[in-house]
Amino acid sequence: MQMFLVFFLWSSVFSDPSRELFGYNREKILTYVFGILVIRAIVLSARAVDVAGEISRGDITNYLLKPINYFRYWFTRDISSKALNLSFAALEAVILFFLLKPTIFIQTNGAILALFFLSLVIAVLTFFCLLFLVNIVAFWMPENGWAAQFLFIVIIAEFLSGGVFPLDILPIETQKVLNLLPFPYLLFFPLQVYLGKLTIAAILKGILTGIFWVVALAFGLRQVWNRGIKHYEAIGR
Amino acid sequence: MKTLTRYFKVWWLMSKNSFMSMLTQKFGASVFIIGKLLRFGFFVAFIFFLLKGANTLAGYTFNQTIFFFLTFNLVDVASQFLFREVYRFRPLVVSGEFDLILSKPISALFRSLMGGADVLDLITIPPLIAGIIYVAGFLNPSTVHITLYILLIINGLLIATAFHIAVISFGIITLEIDHAIMIYRDLTNLGRLPVDIYMEPLRGILTYLIPVGIMVTLPAKALMGLVSAQGVLLSFLLGLAAIFISLRFWNFALTKYTSASS
Repeated sequence: MQMFLVFFLWSSVFSDPSRELFGYNREKILTYVFGILVIRAIVLSARAVDVAGEISRGDITNYLLKPINYFRYWFTRDISSKALNLSFAALEAVILFFLLKPTIFIQTNGAILALFFLSLVIAVLTFFCLLFLVNIVAFWMPENGWAAQFLFIVIIAEFLSGGVFPLDILPIETQKVLNLLPFPYLLFFPLQVYLGKLTIAAILKGILTGIFWVVALAFGLRQVWNRGIKHYEAIGR
Repeated sequence: MKTLTRYFKVWWLMSKNSFMSMLTQKFGASVFIIGKLLRFGFFVAFIFFLLKGANTLAGYTFNQTIFFFLTFNLVDVASQFLFREVYRFRPLVVSGEFDLILSKPISALFRSLMGGADVLDLITIPPLIAGIIYVAGFLNPSTVHITLYILLIINGLLIATAFHIAVISFGIITLEIDHAIMIYRDLTNLGRLPVDIYMEPLRGILTYLIPVGIMVTLPAKALMGLVSAQGVLLSFLLGLAAIFISLRFWNFALTKYTSASS
């Protein structure tokens, strides 16, 4: 339903097909809108949202006793969830495409497409680490695990990743600050790569920044997890 | 009048209980409020920067667009404040506890609809009204337009009430509430911005069939002096028709309640 709001909002702004605004024309902004629908299903759909609940109920004890890696277990579940969500999003996109008949930009440059897929992999890993970090707050606040998730994932990540609007409508100084954070590399950056709005140098810089965040978040996650496990009291078990 | 006072006392008592239960979770409540304010702020920033570049949206200026957005939020937040209990209705029907409500000497509809006002939404209403008054000042409305705005907001709340009655009635028949309320929220969210941005036939559907436009866009347009007398009259008729139909549906749904599990 929200797709209609976003689609018609931008359609209204770009009612003149020759209009160029914020570096977009009608074709590219509508591609951004449809791209968000699909990329969101790949990056932001994740089962690891349930980790906080497992910690607060004490269910995590079952996994700690088994010879499996808890992170890999959830990452595997995430991938299967993404596959399922992607199939629904693709179907949704096809239906909406035939209903709304937008003009879509198709990227044909193989190198750009390869970099786009690489940026998607980075986005998936970044979101996994972010989501896990936010969920394991439940080690210290078992009753309020949902609160951190609501604030950081539902609100902050949603807006600062470009999920609601393209970040390049913001002032350039704000964009520079945002580009230092991990959020734009979730949705906005992969779509900018796909739309061909960035130079190869800017893409490589973005990819390196994304990789830095994956490494930093994975390291931070390991540290917080180790402390959390020491703090864990298996309440409810 | 005596009945009205009695119902107000009951509502006050139930709301007080709901507020006290909410206050036991201060941290969670604070995060929830911060999240809501952040979402609101991000959206206002988006409208600001969008219109800074585009100048107008479907012919509306920045102040007008913000006014549409604030009006949507007022109707949305006010209905969530009043009808939060709807979100807790399903367990009552599934467990058969609805029997206890039916057997009490107050309206079961009143109890199911307004039995747990939400303090978190109440907190955001005064600043929202202040924002509306502030932005309305830039639109130079006449007294007639302000009066029409207030009346149409009440009418919008009446339509929102009808939607919520329909949702709980549907819940009795199908035991499905959560998805129905999500669909309602998604539909009303289409009114965040003036329905004029949508193309036909969606605009027509949102104005007359699922009257989101009448709930939120029309009051704002009335304040800007952009609504005809026929439009206003039609809105009130639609509001009354929506309430009438939803009440009939509620009475029908009650006949389908089986009291299973009780």
